[in-house]
Amino acid sequence: MNVDVIEDERQHQFVLNMGPQHPSTHGVLRVLLKMEGEYVLDPQPVLGYVHRCHEKIGEYKPARAFMPNTARMDYLGALIYNQGYAMLLERAAGIEVPRRAEYIRVITSELNRIQSHLLWYGAYLLDLGAFTPIMYAFDDREHILDTLEDICGSRLTYCYCRVGGVCKDIDDKFIERTRAFIERLRGRLPMYEKLVNGNIIVQKRMKSVGNYTPELCARYGVTGPLLRAAGVEYDLRKAEPYSVYSEFDFEVPTEQQGDAWAAFNVRYREIEQSLRIVEQALDKLPEGEVMEAKVPKKLRLPQGDYNCSVEAPRGELSYYLVSDGSDIPYRIKVRTPSYSNLSVVPEVCKGMMIADVVTSMGALDLVIPEIDR
Amino acid sequence: MNVKAMQKKWLELGVEVEETEYAKTGYDFSLTLPAEKVHALAEVMLADGFYLVFVTAVHALPAIEVVYQFALASSPRCRVMARTAVRADGTVPTISDIYQGANWHEREARDFYGVVFAGHPNLVPLILAEEDVDLKPLLKEEKNLKDISALRHLPAEAEPKEEKAPAAAKKEPAATDKKAAKPQASN
Repeated sequence: MNVDVIEDERQHQFVLNMGPQHPSTHGVLRVLLKMEGEYVLDPQPVLGYVHRCHEKIGEYKPARAFMPNTARMDYLGALIYNQGYAMLLERAAGIEVPRRAEYIRVITSELNRIQSHLLWYGAYLLDLGAFTPIMYAFDDREHILDTLEDICGSRLTYCYCRVGGVCKDIDDKFIERTRAFIERLRGRLPMYEKLVNGNIIVQKRMKSVGNYTPELCARYGVTGPLLRAAGVEYDLRKAEPYSVYSEFDFEVPTEQQGDAWAAFNVRYREIEQSLRIVEQALDKLPEGEVMEAKVPKKLRLPQGDYNCSVEAPRGELSYYLVSDGSDIPYRIKVRTPSYSNLSVVPEVCKGMMIADVVTSMGALDLVIPEIDR
Repeated sequence: MNVKAMQKKWLELGVEVEETEYAKTGYDFSLTLPAEKVHALAEVMLADGFYLVFVTAVHALPAIEVVYQFALASSPRCRVMARTAVRADGTVPTISDIYQGANWHEREARDFYGVVFAGHPNLVPLILAEEDVDLKPLLKEEKNLKDISALRHLPAEAEPKEEKAPAAAKKEPAATDKKAAKPQASN
């Protein structure tokens, strides 16, 4: 609930420094809160604590060598960041990807999305003071990490996609384990609902915190679950169906209220939809190669600029590449969803109580390394 | 939203509109406009329901180019790239009064390239530390700097040769003095 805070001329104001080590900022974000009593007058995020010059690094080495960097921006959606970058280079160089590789990319990306949402689910409730859910969420998430580790070789910062496909084919064991996981999580979701979603205290903490409207989202470039929580049915997997997403039957969950509770429900329901996609992809998985054989070793990108947008767990991820015709990019820009999503905080959190700022920022599902890059 | 109607509005503004092939470039329209028209274009874009994807810059000759991307939050998609050359005094008008999300993107472009967004309410370092205000880390060295026409798509039938610059590059303001085209840090 936002109120119009009246600035008191007797100067009862003070500045509260939240972070860079505050647990609810999930990383190293600092927020300067100008307070009037318990109400926030002016919240200003301070960025840059984990700036690692990814865009500059991209201008110094061959385009395909940037792939590991993409995973280190958003460590929770690393496979989706991999996929987006591989798609960008394939688009620029005009490379076709084998269908089996596309399916594997979708399966691993959606598993990645589920584990990102599960981590957010646990950590967000932990921010709000509910300790137990994170134990359950991490338990489920662990199954995804183990399954992906077998196939991708790492647990968090994957570099699984390659230009022209993926580096390793999936095996029967992976398929078996993934199917078992779908079964397991489907059995667990009703328990989550019973444990948390129906809890009146959780609901009261989240309802009417934040007031996202489609118009506000357009002005700030807010995308992803927050935009869908404001009632806009916009998901790049549907709107710009990349890869093989057009072949699957899934819904885009939306809510109307535009508050933290709506965002919570949208994310929670997305887990089910991702499970549906993985299941269908496993059923329809075609045979064949997983890597296009004719990818040149020195990948020259024709001159011009290229854009590739994909739906990351937190919203729209766009890669923008300017090429001068050589194999080294002239410019790489990464538009990360959390960057635009966080920029609404000064407007949305103005007039909130300080505890609601924590609720509101948790609903953004922030990953700071992708903001600072 | 009717694509033809939107195109007409852009043309009325005096913006050069080029339709691009989405499968090849990843966007639908490429708009080239002088810096003076950026503000008016942003107003039209917001009125048509576009959201701001990003604002960034590309260091090239004769002047730094500022790139805006807008998209429609609907299906079917419409993704628009708009580009403008930085004026001789190193400035471009801000659009952060229309698209508040541009506030941070412009501060970032100021950090990395030193582009001054005229009228910006708070053009202080965002990603970089305050003492690095003059660092401008993404500016290229003289030897790596390319002309903007060498960074444009070649027409589909043309051979990859340097001599044939695409139409979009011709409208760049002819800033003759290289030094003058480089922006100065104002704060």
